[in-house]
Amino acid sequence: MNRHLLLAVALLLIAATASAAGIPGDADGNGVLDQPEYTAAVLTYLVGEGDLTRTDIQDATWVLARWDGRPLEVTDSSGQTLTLSRPLRRVVTFTGESLETLRSLGFDMEKVVAVDKYSHAKSAFFPGFQEKANVGSIWSPDMERVLTLRPDAVFLYATISTAACDEIQQKLEASSPGTRVFRFDCFKPATYPGEIRAIAAATGCEDRGDEFVGFYESVMDGIRAGTADVPEDGKTRVYFEYWTDYKTFASGSGYNEKLEIAGGYNPFAGESAEYPEVDPEAVIVSNPEVVVKLTGQKLAAGGYAGHDIAALEATRSAILKRPGWTRLAAVADDRVHVVHSDILGGAQHFIGTAYLAKWFYPERFAGLDPNAIHQRYLTEFQGLDFNLASEGAFVYP
Amino acid sequence: MIPLPANRLLCIALLIMVVPVAASGTAVTRALSTAEPGAGETFTVSLSIEGMALGGVVETLPAGYAFAGTDLPDDRVLVREQKIAFAVMNDTRITYSVRAPASGSGDITGRWEDFIGGTDGAVAASHVAVDGIETAAASGGADPAVREAGSPFAVLAAVAGILLAAYRGGRR
Repeated sequence: MNRHLLLAVALLLIAATASAAGIPGDADGNGVLDQPEYTAAVLTYLVGEGDLTRTDIQDATWVLARWDGRPLEVTDSSGQTLTLSRPLRRVVTFTGESLETLRSLGFDMEKVVAVDKYSHAKSAFFPGFQEKANVGSIWSPDMERVLTLRPDAVFLYATISTAACDEIQQKLEASSPGTRVFRFDCFKPATYPGEIRAIAAATGCEDRGDEFVGFYESVMDGIRAGTADVPEDGKTRVYFEYWTDYKTFASGSGYNEKLEIAGGYNPFAGESAEYPEVDPEAVIVSNPEVVVKLTGQKLAAGGYAGHDIAALEATRSAILKRPGWTRLAAVADDRVHVVHSDILGGAQHFIGTAYLAKWFYPERFAGLDPNAIHQRYLTEFQGLDFNLASEGAFVYP
Repeated sequence: MIPLPANRLLCIALLIMVVPVAASGTAVTRALSTAEPGAGETFTVSLSIEGMALGGVVETLPAGYAFAGTDLPDDRVLVREQKIAFAVMNDTRITYSVRAPASGSGDITGRWEDFIGGTDGAVAASHVAVDGIETAAASGGADPAVREAGSPFAVLAAVAGILLAAYRGGRR
């Protein structure tokens, strides 16, 4: 008797899973929802017959109207192609960059059911998300909570922290086969426009995606065009220091890509490590024309958390006191800048890159206004009521 | 007498019931070729639909009244007793015919759903009576809540209630 009961439950679960996996209303199960199938599903629902719920009908309508009745295939930045049979309704983001991009696209934030712990903590930039579930970080994920939330999509990084992200993906695929695991970086200039379009397609935000890509590319292409004719030996020599003192980056890193787009020459680009620590003497010998210091480690001062310009100023002052630095061209010419990682490391890298271009080539980019770009991004694409004139601290000077 | 605050709450509640229907962007209204058909006469019901690309409308006829055809293709209509369901696909007008009984009166009621916008609402009730004669078994398919939410009278009543409440409040 018990065996029969278990068998029945198992069959019911299989049937439910099969139903959830396909397009609702696809009566013949051929993977395509045609108009007769759709109208039949709608009519039986309207008169209170059949098994389809209101959500099922709304999803079927979405598939018919937006995807021509067929499943949608989306290729992410890891190269995997995911198939969607329904629109996304329950999304979990493990990266702040994907969450930010979803918001840029106008995706309904009510459908984001949980976020990573860092986004959860950023109350100034992600207001309201503190009420959502916190699923930890990619290095310490709360998998039980993720599974409890029954997400239909989870967003992870594609090319960084790959071991941790792979592990999360494997666990999800084993425990929750219906969950689609998207892998996007959303911080690299080379791949971001394509990622915006792919995420826009997956979420039905194509129009907004085109608009956002247009805005993003207008900034980045303008910078590329502005530095295109700078000869290699005429490029501005830049020492870019990471959060840690004397830690810089080499070619292959995301920061170096942004530095090069802005027309900078990185004397340490050839180092073998992606983020090498360099000899203080080597920095002096390289005699940079511009020094850029990154700030913002572990949600430290600056960024969106407060209007703490003094903290950035203090960081700059400390650099200027380093032994031998008075001899640097950058110090002599007063071209030492501090930039917060909020606008250079993640999805907002185009704002930071605009600042770099302006610092490297002030005459070429005299008309470029990174602050205005930043404000437009926050207001128009992020939908934030955040006034840069009185809030936040991102660059100094 | 209901105390004044309760009156105000009632008025606010009425407004909450009415406003979403009016503010959703989708509107479905009904017009009848006659509200007083003769016995056995077939009359026309026209539904005007605004702002609905893909959705549905369900009409409920009074007892004794029978669906007699529509201008929509057959595969977009489903009749179940007194209920008639229409699948809306960019239609701005749906016309259907109803055959009146030998006698009887009641309300034609309806509901709509916009499956893209995720909204739904009521179609204001339309009263019909054979030869204009009311019968005891009137409003076979009527839904009082639908009438409250959808009729212009409900809007007027709500506004009047608000004004009355505000007037009384001002005197205190």
